[in-house]
Amino acid sequence: MPSILRKLSKASAEPEDESLRPDVLVAALEPVPSYCDVVDAHVHDVIEQTGDAAQAIVEQLVKVDSLAEVMAGDVAQLAGTLSRTETELSQVSSSNDQLVGRLISYFLHRDHQIRALVDQMRDLDQHVKQIEEVSRATNILALNAMIEAVRAGEAGEGFSVVADEVRKLARRSAEAAHGIGSSIGDLTARLDSVLSDDSEFDRDQDIPATTEETAMTRRLGGIANAQREMSEMVSGILKDTVSAAEQVQRSSGALTVETTGAVGHVQFQDISRQMLEHVAEAVADVRRQTEDVASYARGTLTEEELLARVISIEDLRAKHVMSRQRTTHAAQTGGPAHEDAEPLIELF
Amino acid sequence: MTTVMLVDDSATMLMSLKSILTKAGYTVETAGHGKEALDKLGKGVKPNLIISDVNMPQMDGITFAREARKAPGMRFTPILMLTTESEQTKRAEAKAAGATGWLVKPVGPDQLLGVIKQVLPGA
Repeated sequence: MPSILRKLSKASAEPEDESLRPDVLVAALEPVPSYCDVVDAHVHDVIEQTGDAAQAIVEQLVKVDSLAEVMAGDVAQLAGTLSRTETELSQVSSSNDQLVGRLISYFLHRDHQIRALVDQMRDLDQHVKQIEEVSRATNILALNAMIEAVRAGEAGEGFSVVADEVRKLARRSAEAAHGIGSSIGDLTARLDSVLSDDSEFDRDQDIPATTEETAMTRRLGGIANAQREMSEMVSGILKDTVSAAEQVQRSSGALTVETTGAVGHVQFQDISRQMLEHVAEAVADVRRQTEDVASYARGTLTEEELLARVISIEDLRAKHVMSRQRTTHAAQTGGPAHEDAEPLIELF
Repeated sequence: MTTVMLVDDSATMLMSLKSILTKAGYTVETAGHGKEALDKLGKGVKPNLIISDVNMPQMDGITFAREARKAPGMRFTPILMLTTESEQTKRAEAKAAGATGWLVKPVGPDQLLGVIKQVLPGA
């Protein structure tokens, strides 16, 4: 634009220069205001669009932030519940272990007592056999006494009666001893059966026989082991879940930090909006100067008026309020780098 | 509860700063320009801190700071100017108008909260 002005000045000073025709100049400048208006409209459209986009970004970031906070809260609650459940499960498992341990001790003690009882009953059987032996001997003795009583004749009649009674007593004793022996045999067989039931179970389950443990105690031990394994497995799952929940909490915390940072970065829109508004102002200045040059060419504006309103690069620089704008200006014009050394944050 | 009044003609800035401050535990009042903010002060809003833009329609931030100082109970309330401008002359104007500090946009959330802690040590 300054080159056009120079030509115009030259045209005024040197009317013999026929290369410059004001009507052509006017015609050439005529579309420039409309051109500037379109550029201005585009700039404001960009401002509006970036404004809407930035606002939408902030709204969405705020929503993401809220959701992350809600999620962190929910996950924290879940982690707490799972952690308590895991503790309670451990306590129940431990309690079950103790209970099973007591049951095993009880059954071991019971089995031991049954075996001792069976042994004692077998000892009793020996005593019964001795009684039967004594009864047999007494019976023989009574028979011998009767024979001797018969030999004694009339004098032995009384003794014969006594010998007969002794023989009857011996028979009754033998019968009683036999009955006791049978009962002991039945009881021993039944107790053996109780113990042998466990052995049969062991055989069915392919459990090797041992001297100390019974099938019952092994069954209880097996249940306890299964319960412990199940408890440990569930406990492991709960711990993993708690760990995952804590990781989600940490991630949610990091996410909210990031969204807050992102929300802060949206200030770029406010900065770029103001920069674009300055660009629009500069375009308006160009538009005005174009109209002035056209008016001068038409002869409706004097040279003095035109030159008094000419825009300059220094005017443009003076409008820059941002350090970045001044830096860009200096880089473009080859002028001095911006002299600002003001801190970005200053407390008075 | 510490209340911060935000004054800015950019809805995006208001929303962005409000989000940062609310998250940090502050109660936030907003106004779109100096006049609206002044009206709120006149209606009894008593912020513990004001953060204001400089270039705004109807009433700019520096005029607002000057007028806000006249409102009841606002004599010692910190007023921070948050603006894209970095010129020393504007800063001097703001300081003369009663502003407490000058922050050039963009200001990161941590920086902003750090400055607030400096001007409101108990908050």
